[in-house]
Amino acid sequence: MSNSELSFKDIFVKGAVIYNPVLIQLVGLCPVVAASTTLKSAVMLSAAMCVSLVVTCVLASAVLKKVPRWVRMPVYLLTGLLMICPLLWFVETKTLATLSLGIKIYLPLVAINSVTAVHCEQFAVKNSVKTAFYDAAAVSLGASGIFILTGAVREILGSSSIAGIALNLPITLKGMTLPFGCLVLLGFMAAALKTLTGRYYAEAPAPEIRAPRTRETQPVSETEITEVEIFDEFWLEQEAETQPEPAPEPKQIIPEEPKEEVSAPKYTTAAEIDELLRSLGIDTEGGDKQ
Amino acid sequence: MAKEVAKQNTVTVSRLYGDYLIMLAAPCIMAVIYYGARAFYVLLAGVLSAVAGDFTVSALLKKKFLIRDLSNIFIGAAISLMMPAGVPLYVPCLAALFAVVAVKIPFGGSLRAPFVPAAAGFAFASVCFGDLVFSYTANVKDKFLGAESLGSMLMRGSSVHLNAANTFDILSGNVAGPMGTSCGLLMLACCAYLFVRRRKALLATAGFVSACAVFAMLFPRINASPLTSLVLELSAGSLMFAAVFLVTDHATLPKGGAARVVYGAICGIICMVMRAVGAYEETVCFAVLLANGLRPVAESAAKAAAASFKKRKEAQGK
Repeated sequence: MSNSELSFKDIFVKGAVIYNPVLIQLVGLCPVVAASTTLKSAVMLSAAMCVSLVVTCVLASAVLKKVPRWVRMPVYLLTGLLMICPLLWFVETKTLATLSLGIKIYLPLVAINSVTAVHCEQFAVKNSVKTAFYDAAAVSLGASGIFILTGAVREILGSSSIAGIALNLPITLKGMTLPFGCLVLLGFMAAALKTLTGRYYAEAPAPEIRAPRTRETQPVSETEITEVEIFDEFWLEQEAETQPEPAPEPKQIIPEEPKEEVSAPKYTTAAEIDELLRSLGIDTEGGDKQ
Repeated sequence: MAKEVAKQNTVTVSRLYGDYLIMLAAPCIMAVIYYGARAFYVLLAGVLSAVAGDFTVSALLKKKFLIRDLSNIFIGAAISLMMPAGVPLYVPCLAALFAVVAVKIPFGGSLRAPFVPAAAGFAFASVCFGDLVFSYTANVKDKFLGAESLGSMLMRGSSVHLNAANTFDILSGNVAGPMGTSCGLLMLACCAYLFVRRRKALLATAGFVSACAVFAMLFPRINASPLTSLVLELSAGSLMFAAVFLVTDHATLPKGGAARVVYGAICGIICMVMRAVGAYEETVCFAVLLANGLRPVAESAAKAAAASFKKRKEAQGK
């Protein structure tokens, strides 16, 4: 994604959909899992993340390109905090919004979440300000969409309400308000997004951000296993007798007898053939002698 | 010869889960005897929703639905048996659906799932419907201790003086609790069946029960003798059921006998620690799920122990 010739559409589609930061790149999971339990919380988290990400990315692209990497990282965090802390103070003191404990904990952490660091470092400092702004906006939109969708679904299923309005559903799944419910939900959403992007953007390459491969894994086939080897489960009598099949005896290689070479006369020209026939008493011109 | 043995040792999913279903038949009958038609309805709800969930998702994903794959029936029945008979029918339905749709299918079937689907389903029900799943009020007229389960009694730290009559009640499952899992005698019979069919799988069961027993005697939650604590802890909730049906799940069992014992022991210790400090009276499913995640630890620990034992033996030989 470090291509400066990317169009707005490319940047938007890749940043928001194909490489969705939450579902595909799996960054910024902490706030969404812990704090987006209601639609209101999700909207606040999204707004905070949008402001933080856009400002930090633009700043990184404009100013920090020639700054060493070890300096850039703290600058991202400080910039994010400069955006978020006044916002949090304003919301808490100047408005009537009653923030939940989860929001109070995770809203400041949004400033230093991995989405900001990843996109500043991987995209913004390698591209122009305009491109970095587009990317930050697209990524914010993609992440915010997931935040809000997750918050809405969790509130509906877990609390039987939406934006504080009671829905009075007959069944309430309390587990959806817990982190495990959100992780299950995110798993299904990621699977759905992968299916959709595989269908409509099949030519898109694999995401750049990947977990390091720690060990060799065998490719998993799509078919279900219906049979399984259970050598180590059953104590069968025959198991003790299991012996490897005897190796096949090596075939004796009999050298072929060399064929006797028959020295065939080589007649290459018509004159030589005529001469041979004449020596045998055969008239080659007028027929056999009577 | 080796090919014949390999063929003999290749087992189908239907045979594997057929064995489990044969073992489950006895607790199902016991549940119907104790709780009547209500138990049958709960069982039916769990099984039907598991099968319907698998069928629907297979149709959506355009995959072949294997009717002979008996794992759905096992998952539904096992989840239902771990619930009280008076639970609303939607609870086993949703739990079985979660087990099949969120745990079994996404990982490629019951023989590939890294977590035991039935344990995950019951854990889901415990978290979402805790007040319904641990409310044992159905048909408690003739039950020992009335509507109070052994698990809640142990959680409160109260004890009973065991005699021949109430010990038999406890071992035969005539106490308030999960409708099909509290009969310890039946679980022993299931162990005997498993011993005939899959002996090495029982190593995990042995490790699990041993760890639970040692923990119960060393750290009793009640002011009673270690033996009383042992009997009550092992009979409470679905501990023995999990030892036979969940810990021995083929997909999550480690390879090797020693690793299985270690895996079972880890599972048992987690279960007893969660019982002692956890919020729920039944924690065995959470313990099984955590132990599933710790399976590589069990395998590596067993491998390291075997290597050190071999080294020591070689040193003694020299």
